[in-house]
Amino acid sequence: MALERELYEALEDIVGPEYISEVPLIMGSYAQRGRPRFEAVTLPKNTAEVQAIVRLCNRFKVQFKASSTGWGAYGDAGGPGVVKLDLRRMNRILEINEKNMYVVVEPYVIGAQLQAELMKRGLNCNITGAGSNCSALPLAAHQGIGHLSVSGSYGERNQLALEWVTPDGEIVRAGSLGSIGQWWCGDGPGPSLRGIIRGNVMPLGGLGVYTRAAQKIYHWPGPPTFPIEGVSPHYHPSHIPPGFMVRYISFPSPEKLNQAAYKVGEAELGFIFMGFNPAMLSANIATNNNEDLAYMKQFTNLVKGPGFLVIMAGNSPSDTEYKKKTLQQIMDDYEGESLKPVENPKNAGGFMWRFIRVTSSIREVARASGVFAGEVGGTDVFNLMHQYILRSSPLKQRLINEGRLHADGTDPFVQSVEHGHAGHAELLIRFNKQDPESMKAVAEVVMFANKTAIEGHFGVPGHVWGNAAHDQYGPHTSNYHLWLRKIKKTFDPNTASESTNYITAND
Amino acid sequence: MALEDYRSDMEMCCRCSICKFVPLEKLKEIKHSYVCPSIARYNFHTYSGGGRVNMGIAMLEKELEYDDKLLEVVYNCQMCGACDISCKYAMDMEVLEPINEIRIKCVEDGHTVPVLDGVINSLRKQGTMVPGAKARRGEWAGGLDVKDITREKTKVIYHAGCRVCYDEDMWKVAVATVKLLKKAGVDVGIAGKNESCCGGRAYQMGYKEDFLNQAKQNMELIKKSGAEILVTGCADCYYAFKVLYDKFGLKDKLEVLHTTEYLARLIKEGKLKPARKVNVKVTYHDPCHLGRLGEPYIHWEGKPVPGHIRVFDPPKEFRRGTYGVYEPPRDVLKSIPGLKLVEMDRIKEYAWCCGAGGGVKESNPEFARWTAKERIEEAQSTGAEAIVTACPGCEQVFKEAVKENKDSLKVYDVVELLEKAI
Repeated sequence: MALERELYEALEDIVGPEYISEVPLIMGSYAQRGRPRFEAVTLPKNTAEVQAIVRLCNRFKVQFKASSTGWGAYGDAGGPGVVKLDLRRMNRILEINEKNMYVVVEPYVIGAQLQAELMKRGLNCNITGAGSNCSALPLAAHQGIGHLSVSGSYGERNQLALEWVTPDGEIVRAGSLGSIGQWWCGDGPGPSLRGIIRGNVMPLGGLGVYTRAAQKIYHWPGPPTFPIEGVSPHYHPSHIPPGFMVRYISFPSPEKLNQAAYKVGEAELGFIFMGFNPAMLSANIATNNNEDLAYMKQFTNLVKGPGFLVIMAGNSPSDTEYKKKTLQQIMDDYEGESLKPVENPKNAGGFMWRFIRVTSSIREVARASGVFAGEVGGTDVFNLMHQYILRSSPLKQRLINEGRLHADGTDPFVQSVEHGHAGHAELLIRFNKQDPESMKAVAEVVMFANKTAIEGHFGVPGHVWGNAAHDQYGPHTSNYHLWLRKIKKTFDPNTASESTNYITAND
Repeated sequence: MALEDYRSDMEMCCRCSICKFVPLEKLKEIKHSYVCPSIARYNFHTYSGGGRVNMGIAMLEKELEYDDKLLEVVYNCQMCGACDISCKYAMDMEVLEPINEIRIKCVEDGHTVPVLDGVINSLRKQGTMVPGAKARRGEWAGGLDVKDITREKTKVIYHAGCRVCYDEDMWKVAVATVKLLKKAGVDVGIAGKNESCCGGRAYQMGYKEDFLNQAKQNMELIKKSGAEILVTGCADCYYAFKVLYDKFGLKDKLEVLHTTEYLARLIKEGKLKPARKVNVKVTYHDPCHLGRLGEPYIHWEGKPVPGHIRVFDPPKEFRRGTYGVYEPPRDVLKSIPGLKLVEMDRIKEYAWCCGAGGGVKESNPEFARWTAKERIEEAQSTGAEAIVTACPGCEQVFKEAVKENKDSLKVYDVVELLEKAI
């Protein structure tokens, strides 16, 4: 189904002929294999162009969908007749406000770029756990939780004022931007709309286009640039900056781990806190899959049970000393044991920087077979989220034993948000996408995860998007799905914003 | 190998877009954080490493018709390999190899770009990738007292390369190289008018058979000369002789060195002593085919191990740019008294391409210059007075960019500066 010539030409007038295409070759590269293709791809340069495209799509009753860095299938078309807005030309950091500690970015600024610019100024930002190759816009990733969330919070809470092109083409400037033209507050003076535009997870392209947003940034106690040497993939720092320390601490039981995690939070020790299992550590340090398997075996044999990775960053010598001593005390109290290969100075700096820059998420999830799946918990009480994922572990183990999933351990990876104020947990699965039995196993895990979440009252997990999932969870969760649909209907009267991965307005 | 042989590599692409950026551990600022000229210039995902392997699968599935757009995308890529290196920081998959195979498939299927056909016709008729008569190839060495390898046995062959032989401005680099080698007592010879193109660029343009013909001819000549070492100052030639000839089992025991590798060795051995001051602040541009693509070829034959993680029996070692030629050119520069070397943001395995490679200079000179200008801007941002490189292709396109922009930045080959110091 080609676009009407009048519409195509009007789109061309907006972005210029160099920045629009409808040729099959280009459309093919914007669709995961076997997925519907867009009718045209546009590359708008600014909010005015985005707005004009959105208005045109409304006028011609054609759907549109925007994405930034575009990892994952959320940014793909849900069906025929959709125009793509690839936001890669909107790639500027618009403001770094050092005094008030916020930054304003366009959607195609990635986490690594923003962090690099901030570190030069003694500042840092949260980076989505998916990796610093992803957009730094606090509304791009589906929840925006990441390695730094223990000290740098996450998307929903970091987001300040924003600019939003609504599904029908209105420009809404939320928070202080809407009233006094400033970016420092997301909730006023002026409209907030935080809950409406975000939901439990982001609308994943299904509710207009977020074109600019401010987010809170944080103190960075390290050097302006981390002293990384070597040639890819063997990067390592020449030295570990003063005050930085990384440890992986394993415990005899999940209970001990939880208690220790709470103590680490109470003492505000963590700059990064990730309850990884040994498989995540091995994928992080390994430069290829063979090494990955060897490290995993080594690390698995060395740990005494479930564990967490903690990176501490002291703000002064006395702060560093306090953190070291307190961590040791917690380890003593809860029988924690440090994994020596992580402590080893040869490895420690590399681990540290890969986690701070969040460069290894691709290694951790995609290198094994190019795909990954899993059960993504919500963001709630740390222990509740841990328990939720723990419930699924036996199933994963059975599927591993049956040879249907990669044997990379069954401990959940659980992370602390805002020093234990909240937690988030996931059970990642790596599998062979060419093997139908493996694909079925993934489906079994997701089905079981949903059943567990609903029956166990664990809340709505992060892997819930799309009509079917919302309709499954809504009746058990205050009928939120009805409200979500009302939001969709109200803000998208012409159903122009393609929302397969959000919710559609159908009753 | 054919495109089909890389199907499983191409299917590994998870569309993370890491191929568009410098390795993220090394990213220091937003300004110089992109690494692929093609996606940076043309923006649509298709032009990235990830987009290209996606295209490769679509070609295998016969989902795409050959048309001008397909060829435009295929050939607006310098084959610089930056996407490949950034991807392989994290992934175990080939990126540049299938991109090259896409071009080979285009040629084999009879779909080519006229201007590149013209270049290949020149190769077939005259043995050169740049316009010029075969008889004139050795003119650069006129008056130079150097052995002719077609008449005398020699230990070392100096291969000047097409871009030097047919550009009088570049002759001085070749002359200086031979003089420096002789000064160090090296038994060096040249093929003069009998020198022929290495064929490397033909291969990267997709003309595999033409490359193989050149390679076989060249190795025949080299074997007859009895030479043990081939030295070249051209990064394209270096990549061809060292990597591609080896890939196709043609290199035999020939040791292939870039001039900077050999000169660095001679300086270290005390056979060359840079003594004169050359007071200049320079920055060094790593040519892609000397740097990230210049590491040795790794022969491997095996099969995937069934399971959920992509491993092979025997284990496959991927070329990730780790062992490219990065230090020898820097060592030569650092040996020059008075010279100050400052680094750009994008260096070594993640250096930004000069723009000239992969046939782009011939098929889309505007894109080549656009790419070069990006690099010139980066060089200027270091405060350097000159950009120094180790490849005539880079030097030529940089000079064009500087001239077009009316910039004051000087452009040198490493050898030119060393010659001043000796």
